[in-house]
Amino acid sequence: MPPLLEARNLTKHYGAAVALDNVTFDVDEGVTGLLGPNGAGKSTAMKLFLGLIRPTSGAASILGEEPYRSIDVRSRIGYMPENESLPKNVTASEFLMHMAQVSGLPPAQARVRAADVLRHVGLHEERYRPMGEYSTGMKQRVKLAQAIVHDPVLALLDEPTAGLDPDGRQEMLRLIRRTAGAFGVSVMLSTHLMGDIERVADAVIVLESGVLSHQDAVAKLTEETETLLVEVADRREEFAAALAVRGAQARDDGQTFTLENAREEDYDRIRDAAVESGARIRRLSPERRELTDIFRSAPK
Amino acid sequence: MTMGEAQVYDLRYQRYTGPREGRGRSRRAVFESGVRTVLGVGRGGRAKILPALLFISAMAPAVVFVVILSFVDNVAGDAASGFIPGAGDYYNFVGRVLILFAAVMAPELLIPDRRENILPLYFVRPLTPVDYLSMRFLAFFVITLALVYSGQIVLQAGLILTSTAPLDYIRDNWTDGPRILLVGAAIALFTSIAPLAVAAFTTRRAYAAAFIIAAWLLLGAAADIPLSFEDNGVPDQVALIHAGRVTDNVNDMVFDRTMGGPAGEAVGRLHAAWPIASYVLWTGIPALLLWSRYRRLRL
Repeated sequence: MPPLLEARNLTKHYGAAVALDNVTFDVDEGVTGLLGPNGAGKSTAMKLFLGLIRPTSGAASILGEEPYRSIDVRSRIGYMPENESLPKNVTASEFLMHMAQVSGLPPAQARVRAADVLRHVGLHEERYRPMGEYSTGMKQRVKLAQAIVHDPVLALLDEPTAGLDPDGRQEMLRLIRRTAGAFGVSVMLSTHLMGDIERVADAVIVLESGVLSHQDAVAKLTEETETLLVEVADRREEFAAALAVRGAQARDDGQTFTLENAREEDYDRIRDAAVESGARIRRLSPERRELTDIFRSAPK
Repeated sequence: MTMGEAQVYDLRYQRYTGPREGRGRSRRAVFESGVRTVLGVGRGGRAKILPALLFISAMAPAVVFVVILSFVDNVAGDAASGFIPGAGDYYNFVGRVLILFAAVMAPELLIPDRRENILPLYFVRPLTPVDYLSMRFLAFFVITLALVYSGQIVLQAGLILTSTAPLDYIRDNWTDGPRILLVGAAIALFTSIAPLAVAAFTTRRAYAAAFIIAAWLLLGAAADIPLSFEDNGVPDQVALIHAGRVTDNVNDMVFDRTMGGPAGEAVGRLHAAWPIASYVLWTGIPALLLWSRYRRLRL
């Protein structure tokens, strides 16, 4: 199956400023995070895939077609912009019905879809209120709803958790996960928050200063390492001495013992050292990589 | 006690499997929302005040003309006499009313979508900027056209019914039909395009309205004042910068009449090609500006 999105040597200049520089990547089904700090080129990449702007060189394709040449392909994609983009004096119900029709749905079906999607994003009770009266969280949910009201194959969400409080953010991430899971809509979301990616994305593409720095499955990037972390509740010194006697090379930072390149027998050594020293083990687990490590290790 | 049969509704998310009508439906939706916006349909009572005033202002002269006609005897074949208002008189009046209302209402079609950043949501759907613009224009054009024609229908009905010999009146004045259609379309075209073009360059509706009305008054003064002096040495073509007379010039030419005022008399002395060229420029240049503005719009 061909990828949903393809960037081939994609470059975009705004005058002398380079927003994207020779970027090549693919996006497949599921949830893909486009991660990077502000100004990394995430929004530019999205706009290129949506056909809102044209590349300086290279090619961007969506569902196998060039978005600025094929009008029809746009009826199968959804877009949630970063900024507010909602008419203040219009109700969510009316707005969604209109946007569904602009996506090509007949009026009767558009009405049903609008009601359906508003219920699924939790705005069914508020659907007849003008959107100018909505909170930031409700506006974000309407923006998500208009992106999926026509049941697209793929939805591109630009900073969907921007401006939300922690509860609102969790709710939005849950909705995004549900959009991809229960609704069957593949999602590409851009964000500068690694937690968002770790929470919802299957794959991640990392952009820095317009350059692609990483692309991989999130599970692979956050997989377990060969480093073992041990925390004990008491008798630290006795435990450290018992480990040393058994030849285990552990680094003690005062809270956690870290064993690099741990092997199978190191688990036995830790068990025996704990028994001998009488220390109570509070934690014993392999270290997991975090997405922050990607940024630490990225070439500058 | 009888109990109805229970029904279980599955409220889980359903994929959409219905028809997708593509770009045609998309254009139609933008056109229909434009019509609803101009008429204030689905909005509060305040949004309907201006459309109602426009309708009253466009119909009132036709009704007043009919009332005047009802007091004048023997109209048959005599609509061109100085006492009886006709189709051309109505268009002269309604053209002014329309430009005032268009200055206020046309910006409503373009400015909110730009100011509230709605345009990207349109253009990621099966709709091009040209589709969007043409449907917004068409919405306003159709409403203004319906208004000017409605007024004319009332007036023509009055002229026919108040004449002593209605059939004779129709036979003698049948050429008014195509003239009415032509001038009505010209008025609707100009009053739709020019205000939309102004609205494309600002995000404030008040600025757009103020600019249109100021241009209307100032250009009128710039034409009328120098031409009002005797032996002024000013070429008659100066009258063509009078924005308020753009549709009057076409109206006067088609209905073979001359309206008073220095600019009107000056245009009357010019060859017919001049007011036609003036009309083409007054509508063509705003149309080009409008198209160019949306083509280059940075989203």
